[in-house]
Amino acid sequence: MPNCLVCYKWTLDEQDIKIKSEDLSLDSSRAKGKISDFDRNAIEEAALLVEKLGGAVAALSYGTAAVKQSLKDVLSRGPEKSYWVADASAEQADATVTATVLAAAIRKIGPFDLILLGEGSSDLFNQQTAPRLAALLGLPCLSFVNKLEVEGDVVKATRKLDDSVEVVTVKTPVVISVLSEINKPRIPSLKQVLSAAKKPNQELTVADLGLTPEDLAPKAVRKSVKGFVMQRKNIIFKETAAAANVAKLKESLASLGLS
Amino acid sequence: MNFELTEEQQLIGQSAREFGKEYLEPIAVDLDHTGEYPAKIIAKLAGHDFLGLLLPAEVGGAGAGFASYVEVIENLSRYSAAVASIVNNHTIAALALELYGSPEQKKTYLPKLAKGETLGSLALFESGPTPGVGPDALTAVKHAEGWVLNGKKAYVRNAGVAGVYIVFATADPALGAKALTAFVVDSKTTGLKVGKLEETMGLKGCPVAEITFENVVLPETAVLGTVNQGQAIAAKLLSIFYVAEAAQTVGIGQAAVEHAAAYAKQRVQFGKPVAVLQAVQTMLAEVATDVHLARLGLQNAALLIEEGKPFEVEAAMIRSFLVRLGPKMMLDTCQVEGGFGYSEFMPLPRLFRDIAGTVLLDAPGDYPDKTIAASIA
Amino acid sequence: MAGIFIFSEDRALAAQLLTPALELKAALGEPLTVLALDAAQATELSTLGADKVLVVGDSATWIEGLGEPLAALVAHASVVLVGGTLRGKHLAADVAARLKTGMTTDAKAVRIAGGKLVATRILYAGLAVCDEELPLPAVVTIRARTFLAPTTTTAAAPIEQAVAKADARVTVESVTPTSTAGVDITAASRLIAVGRGFRAKDDLKLAEDLGKVLGAELACTRGIAEDEHWLPIERYIGISGQTVKPELYLAVGLSGQVQHMVGCRESKTIVAINNDERSPIFEAADYGIVGDLYEVLPLLTAALRK
Repeated sequence: MPNCLVCYKWTLDEQDIKIKSEDLSLDSSRAKGKISDFDRNAIEEAALLVEKLGGAVAALSYGTAAVKQSLKDVLSRGPEKSYWVADASAEQADATVTATVLAAAIRKIGPFDLILLGEGSSDLFNQQTAPRLAALLGLPCLSFVNKLEVEGDVVKATRKLDDSVEVVTVKTPVVISVLSEINKPRIPSLKQVLSAAKKPNQELTVADLGLTPEDLAPKAVRKSVKGFVMQRKNIIFKETAAAANVAKLKESLASLGLS
Repeated sequence: MNFELTEEQQLIGQSAREFGKEYLEPIAVDLDHTGEYPAKIIAKLAGHDFLGLLLPAEVGGAGAGFASYVEVIENLSRYSAAVASIVNNHTIAALALELYGSPEQKKTYLPKLAKGETLGSLALFESGPTPGVGPDALTAVKHAEGWVLNGKKAYVRNAGVAGVYIVFATADPALGAKALTAFVVDSKTTGLKVGKLEETMGLKGCPVAEITFENVVLPETAVLGTVNQGQAIAAKLLSIFYVAEAAQTVGIGQAAVEHAAAYAKQRVQFGKPVAVLQAVQTMLAEVATDVHLARLGLQNAALLIEEGKPFEVEAAMIRSFLVRLGPKMMLDTCQVEGGFGYSEFMPLPRLFRDIAGTVLLDAPGDYPDKTIAASIA
Repeated sequence: MAGIFIFSEDRALAAQLLTPALELKAALGEPLTVLALDAAQATELSTLGADKVLVVGDSATWIEGLGEPLAALVAHASVVLVGGTLRGKHLAADVAARLKTGMTTDAKAVRIAGGKLVATRILYAGLAVCDEELPLPAVVTIRARTFLAPTTTTAAAPIEQAVAKADARVTVESVTPTSTAGVDITAASRLIAVGRGFRAKDDLKLAEDLGKVLGAELACTRGIAEDEHWLPIERYIGISGQTVKPELYLAVGLSGQVQHMVGCRESKTIVAINNDERSPIFEAADYGIVGDLYEVLPLLTAALRK
């Protein structure tokens, strides 16, 4: 019966982010929060494991004050308890800081048999947190997992890599990052949403965790964030007669030496 | 004063939005074409507790409030107003039983309605001007064992798929609507016949048909509330229904605004996206404003219902507002999209028909305006 | 020992890493060391400008388990460049954690400015780009084909053994290669990418026929590979799939979501065929035809055949 922890990130929904045409800066003032996409798969996988094997799932997140908005959301998706670290440092945090904070929290609230995360967050997509967390906690790490089987203290994972599929086994405790293909996250039912309010959540402050300002200062500092704008010719043929469009396209391709 | 949804209401709305995106968006176009009742989707909705949202936990409902309910309906309607309409018609029947049912009636029906094992339907309208009046009016004649029903109900939604109908019949043709009495009628009752499904303009997939009653014998225990209380029950349910349908309209309007805005940004004419043209901006701004204000009015009425305060005037106002502005929202968004908006290839024609379906039915003439006028006179 | 280190278990990618590594070497004036997976890779990479080559394992090594020994090898490095395969990214993050230092994932460009490393990368699945500034030592992963391998060869650098032991807690039960067709679409100079506009697998023949005339390989969206399984996984383009930069990218029946476009937006010329004029693909295209692909493709194939 595995004791599981899922780490998730509360990110801005990238669909709500607009690029300002004047200076290509990003306007996220109207952007809503969401549980990072791949972390939902991690939450679902932990919930599925525990439904099958028994055990428990807790959730942990580090974020700005906005992370509080995620508590009921995450608790409606399976975990029985959530822990959260809200600190302004999260705004500029890089993977170094995130892994440091999560590791400190896990040392305090752990140990856990399985620590699950998404392969990367939907905003920064650093894909670093799982291996870093494992390194800091001295645990093995299985990354990019798209199938997970747990039997007793043995974890068997199928990893989908660039050019191969690899099956690995390891004994718990272990840190695991999952791919989006591993499952289809559930849409919480109304009763699950309503019962989330009754589940416990616990704040951990950075002071509780003994973290110093130095621990919370990012190594990788993001500068000059600009919207990506594609410069293309945008010559679109849209006559009613398809043949006319094809003829024009052929001409264009020929002029580029591409016919 | 607080204009923000609670976290719980937001999450319930989010759950409905995720549901809509996942299950309704892929079928909405097909549903509009075939008009076939989406049984699988309704079963899925039941699994997510959407069919028992307002019913108390004791009978298996989610026990959420009306403000949460309209969030759900708006979000489902963004993807398929037809499906939302099935939910609305089911919910209003369930609510009729919850509000007026005897302990026995509640015990029989509410658990099944909450779980979505049985679908509910409200059979209120008739082909005549008002229920209880006209040649086809449904009459209920007192009998030794109970009541005998004869006549027809028109425009019954969820017809044929519902397991229980809340039926309004006049207990005295001479008194007409004044003697209106509500009955709880099981769909399997002998003599109840569901007619051919109507071909409707919009909300295709939500079955609409006439129901004929031929010597339908009901026990005394089938009366909902008390004899002759039907008109009061109908008025109350209609008021609640206005608010539920306003959520449907706002959901459709929101979908149309988002589609038109995305179109305006993409569509390039004379070297610029049409979104920068002032005429287009004005149209989009007006519709977005209408939708936003309608949502506020809707949420206000919903909250009054949830808190058990008088809500009928606000319900009539939002109804009246949307009967006027719903179709205009669609005209404006269609115009933004020009010839494309008119094309059946695009979603706007379906949204247009769905909004018509939402504001045309259930609006017996000037009824909302009378309520409003009475409140200020 | 300060210095610049590179590592990738992918031979071609390891060679490509030498290009930015040599620029960093020039900027920092520090020696460049190649960490080679095995002896064969060491020999191959030794003549591309490195000062030294260390052989850290062999072809059977579980790369992801090398974090601890590699971190010790690069303990005094200024910059560590790691090939951005999934294995490489796992390893790099592990090493960065052990070095208690920052890391940029999938950098598009790297330079030294003000004693710091500045790496350009994308955010929000390609919606935005940013520069990340990292103090030295810094770890950076770089994906395949971000840079071309150096073309000039140098005298062979000395090769030394530094064989490391991988994390023994993890047991590799099996490794099954997924490349089936053997076609490397990332190497193709012309690609036809197909999307959901195709109604059936057999209809892809329309694209294949055009491909024969154009000399183009077929690529696809994630949906076509992962949901429909009409084309092998290694042919899908996008944030979690392949990144390509062909001369011609002909997108047929696909809408051009940012998650897809991020994998092809550096193509030289993008052409789109789609029946929905509103599709974002037209915004991303140099040329486009608004029309039914079932009508347009046969006509285009016939026209180009002439």
